[in-house]
Amino acid sequence: MFPIAHFLYLGAFLFSAGLVIVIVKKNMIMVLLGIELMLNASNLNLVTFNQLYPDSIQGQMFALFVIIVAVSEAAVGLAIVIKVYHYYQTSVPDEINELKD
Amino acid sequence: MAATPSYDTAVFMACAFSALFLPLFSFAVSLLISEKYSWLVTFTSPFLLLLSTLAAGVVLYSTWNQQPFTMTWNWFTVAGSTFAVGVFLNNISALMLLVVTLISFLVNSYSAGYMAGDPDLKRYFGMLGFFTFSMLGIVIADNLLLVFVFWELVGFSSFMLIGHWKEKSKAADAAKRAFIFNRVGDVGFLIGLMILWAHAESFNLITLSTSSEALSWKTAASLCIFCGVIGKSAQFPLFSWLPDAMEGPTPVSALIHAATMVAAGVFLLARVYFLFTPFALDFVALTGCITALLGAFAALAQNDIKKILAYSTISQLGFMVLAAGAGAPEAAMLHLVTHAFFKACLFLAAGAVIHALHQAQNQSHFPFDAQDIRHLGGLRKKLPFTFFVFIVSGSALSGLPFFSGFLSKDAILASLMVWKGTGFSWRWLIFGSAFVVSFTTVLYTFRLIWSVFQGEEKSTAHLSITEPPLSMRVPMTVLAIASLWIIVSPNPFDFSGWIYGGLRSNSEYLHISAISIASASWVLLALAFAYLIKGRTIRSSMLLNAFYVNSIYKIVVERPLFQLAEITARTDKKLIDGILHTAAYAQLIIANVAGWFDRAMIDGVVDDAAILAKGVGSFTRSFQGGKIQLYIFWAIFAVIIFIIWTLL
Amino acid sequence: MQEILLSLLLFTPLLAALVSLFFPATAIQLFRYTTLVANIAQAFFLILLLGSYQNSAGLQFVEHQPWITMDLGSWGTLKAEYFIGIDGLSMPLVVLSVFIMLIATISSWTILKNVKGYFILLLILNTAIIGSFVALDFLLFYLFFEFMLLPMFFLIALWGGPRKEYASIKFFLYTLLGSILILIVMIGLNLSVHDPSISGQLVHSFNIIHMSSPINFISFSILDPHNAWQIGLYNARQWAFLLLFFGFAIKLPMVPFHTWLPDAHVEAPTPISVILAALLLKVGGYGLARIAFPIFPDATIYFGGFIGVMGVISIIYGGLNALSSKDLKRLIAYSSISHMGFVLLGFASLTAEGVVGSIYQMFSHGIISAMLFLLAGVLYDRTNNRMIANYSGLYSKMPWYAVMIIVAFFASMGLPGFSGFIAEIMVFLGAFKSNSVQGPLHESIAITATLGLVLAAAYYLWTLQRMFFGPFNLKGDITSDQMFDLNKREFIMLIPLAAAALFFGIYPQPMIAIIDPFAKHFAEFVIGAGKSLTLNP
Repeated sequence: MFPIAHFLYLGAFLFSAGLVIVIVKKNMIMVLLGIELMLNASNLNLVTFNQLYPDSIQGQMFALFVIIVAVSEAAVGLAIVIKVYHYYQTSVPDEINELKD
Repeated sequence: MAATPSYDTAVFMACAFSALFLPLFSFAVSLLISEKYSWLVTFTSPFLLLLSTLAAGVVLYSTWNQQPFTMTWNWFTVAGSTFAVGVFLNNISALMLLVVTLISFLVNSYSAGYMAGDPDLKRYFGMLGFFTFSMLGIVIADNLLLVFVFWELVGFSSFMLIGHWKEKSKAADAAKRAFIFNRVGDVGFLIGLMILWAHAESFNLITLSTSSEALSWKTAASLCIFCGVIGKSAQFPLFSWLPDAMEGPTPVSALIHAATMVAAGVFLLARVYFLFTPFALDFVALTGCITALLGAFAALAQNDIKKILAYSTISQLGFMVLAAGAGAPEAAMLHLVTHAFFKACLFLAAGAVIHALHQAQNQSHFPFDAQDIRHLGGLRKKLPFTFFVFIVSGSALSGLPFFSGFLSKDAILASLMVWKGTGFSWRWLIFGSAFVVSFTTVLYTFRLIWSVFQGEEKSTAHLSITEPPLSMRVPMTVLAIASLWIIVSPNPFDFSGWIYGGLRSNSEYLHISAISIASASWVLLALAFAYLIKGRTIRSSMLLNAFYVNSIYKIVVERPLFQLAEITARTDKKLIDGILHTAAYAQLIIANVAGWFDRAMIDGVVDDAAILAKGVGSFTRSFQGGKIQLYIFWAIFAVIIFIIWTLL
Repeated sequence: MQEILLSLLLFTPLLAALVSLFFPATAIQLFRYTTLVANIAQAFFLILLLGSYQNSAGLQFVEHQPWITMDLGSWGTLKAEYFIGIDGLSMPLVVLSVFIMLIATISSWTILKNVKGYFILLLILNTAIIGSFVALDFLLFYLFFEFMLLPMFFLIALWGGPRKEYASIKFFLYTLLGSILILIVMIGLNLSVHDPSISGQLVHSFNIIHMSSPINFISFSILDPHNAWQIGLYNARQWAFLLLFFGFAIKLPMVPFHTWLPDAHVEAPTPISVILAALLLKVGGYGLARIAFPIFPDATIYFGGFIGVMGVISIIYGGLNALSSKDLKRLIAYSSISHMGFVLLGFASLTAEGVVGSIYQMFSHGIISAMLFLLAGVLYDRTNNRMIANYSGLYSKMPWYAVMIIVAFFASMGLPGFSGFIAEIMVFLGAFKSNSVQGPLHESIAITATLGLVLAAAYYLWTLQRMFFGPFNLKGDITSDQMFDLNKREFIMLIPLAAAALFFGIYPQPMIAIIDPFAKHFAEFVIGAGKSLTLNP
């Protein structure tokens, strides 16, 4: 049995990696990937903390809920990305600046 | 004197004006004649001058011992005072008129031979005519302003004639010096005129002579006018231009020395004698005496024929001025007349020697200084006529009996005798120096004659020398005859002949036989002494350079003047322009500082505020730059900060 | 015709300038001949003017028209008029201007650069100069006075020699400074003088004739002769006089305000040098005699000795500087300064002789200096070199040129027979007499001034000796084939000038008869009014 901290470290690492990807990566698809990563890191945390209270299943339930939300978010996000790509011929959010200034 | 003139006024006036204006006409003719026929002027000028001489003769004949002839026209009027031009002919001026025209005529005809072949004949004869005209103007003018006008014109024409050989640098220098020295004297004359105008409101000679009161301004006025005389008649200390003026053609020297220039001073002295107060007269006499001595001694040491004659002229002029100062202007005038003839004759004879030698030189290409008596000698055989003329005129200059110079000098000595009084005073010294001068005169005259004509031929031995042409010999002959006693009086031992009486105004009859005898024996003694020391030369550089007057002028006047001129030029460039430039630069600097202040300070504050606002703006704007990722970054960043904040 | 003759004379050149504006810039001959025709027309009007001029009648050909009238409420009314006329002071100068302008136009044939602009400026300058000589309203005078500056500035700055920028700016700033001094006094005078011809109403007038009469000053105004305000050392009238005096002295020019002149002369093209020396300098002397002296007679007497001394300093200082000049044109420029010193001296003497001499000197110097600058220009046209040291023995190469130079030099030296002599002798007689007729000058001032005659002889003869006598030789990059004698056009310019200098030297009566009534009245008025104002202030 692994101590619980290891899972929390992994969750923190995944979240951080996702956050860095979201901030640093130029491509919108990569950003979506980063978001997926962060969601999964939170899933990991939910499942891990659920281990501390084995009687309840709220943790797993929330994780499942997040996965569903993540799927729908990915579907809508990718659809937007594709639309944006069609319109601007790019999927880099920095270059899409028509609303700026 | 007769109460009414016994002559026909119309004829007289015609003669007087033709005497005056024919030389001017000669000037005009010479200028207007075309270059191609320039040789014609050698005929027209002497001819016109001959006519002028004849007219002057008529004038002299008509006015002599008659009522003076006057005639005045209005020249211009200022505030009611009239400046007039007019003619005033009395014995002195009528006599002078004849002397000037006659000598000018002779010099003109002599020049026809002497200047033959000169490229600038037109200018030469033209200026001779103008020179004569100017001098005649001085002679017949009835007021001092008009005298001053012609006085300056004489200076101008002498400038042109002395500098006639325009390519000779020394001639140009001499001409300039002559004019400037004259100008210095003229300035004195001008101040005299100003004094007269301020006090008497008139320049008219007759008006001035009738106001008899002796006033202090008269002393000043007469001394100032005497300054003009000093300049023009080459008196001490303004005499050094005259020897330098020998750079001009020799006939011009004859004219300057005899009739048209230096004579003007003595003439003026006699003309305005009434203005001179006793004090002024003493000053005049002293100046004359110093000049006479200086000239005589300087003449002893000269080696140039013409310079010897020049210094002798200075000495003789000093003698005349001395006589005028001693209260005998008539004696001065008499000497002026006789001196005019024999000095003109001497110069023409010297010119003949130079001319003959130059021609011989041109044929043989044997260069030496033909005017230096050290190269000459024994010319008696080759130039017998010139030798004879030289002897006659030289004797007149020395004052040997039976020559005109003896009589006129006698007149001066006699008046000095009376003037010095009976008791001993400084006047005795002057009386004594008159004898010294007359002794020295004999020495330098005969030294000149001996070294040129007697003894062995030196540089000239191999040259074939011929007598000058007839056009030069005739004037010399006429002048030689005029150097005899006969022109002064029929009695060779009594100067009170036909001229003296007419010149005398009010002084008593002065002939003293003791003086005649003393003078005659003194001169003969000098002649014997001259014979004893013949061939010897006095080597004194002080005498040769005439007591270094020129060098003194160089050091005392010329150099400081040029230094002063340099200083003023520098003042202009450095000081006045410097102040200006400094002011201009100061303004520029102030403008620049103000500009900098404007840019850096006033605009700077505004700019800085703008820059600050812009910086703050762009800083804050950078948080919302439209970049989603940045927003996220900042959001996270803020959360982290917040967490750290709450944790601590 | 008779009534507007003076205006015709005055505005003919301006009209010609206007007409010239419409010609194409390439029609060079057209500009030359238009200017020439304008000058000849002026000469024609001048002859008509002289024909009916009466010597003893004072101001004549007066034209009087309202120009500016401004109601200033409680300050009264400000009035400036178009008021011109001519008298014994302005007549000689107008004659001179017309004559010199004609000569300058002929001399301008050598100008080949931007001919249109040049001749138009020349014509404007012509009107401005004559205008300042005939204007009798201070504002009108000031207008013309200022108007001279601009054409002159451009004529030097555009057609001048190598250092033209420096010279033109120096000229402009200097004279502008003078103008400002005059402007200050003009305003002060306008505030203090009322027009007596309009009663019951306060009318501030610019009329110079009214200003010259002490009774027309408003009581307790700043320049009221009876209650002049004390400002520091002097009273307001004396200050005003000094400002006017220095304003005009800059133009004259008087040492030490003269340094613009040599530079301007050296750099200006020949015709402009001629106009500058012959006419522009005279405006300074004219201003003194027309404005400064009669309006402030009391201050004139107070400062008379000082003015005389400044005149003598100008004479001697100018002479010394001429002696050390190495450039022919510079030498002539300094001789001008020396000669204009005589003008100051003569006016300061406050005697009829002195004033006649001064006006005659302005006239005569106009003729002679024009000749001198033309002659310097002849040499410069041939070689582009004016350094005296580069030439010697020119007499043998250019005999007619040498003859003309000798005539001009001796004329300028004041040789009798030339007009300069009459002028100088009159100035001397007047200056010396001044003390004995209650004038302000001491005898010693006149005596010191005679040194100027010796200096003039020295610098001119030395120049003659260096440049014209001796063996023919050239230095620098001048070749002897550049040296040829005068051509026909140059003779046409020089002969009339030489003839005029001779004529007015031998027979001065016609000109003196014009000047004399003015001079007599001027001397009497200034001394009389000055003394009475000084005695009972």
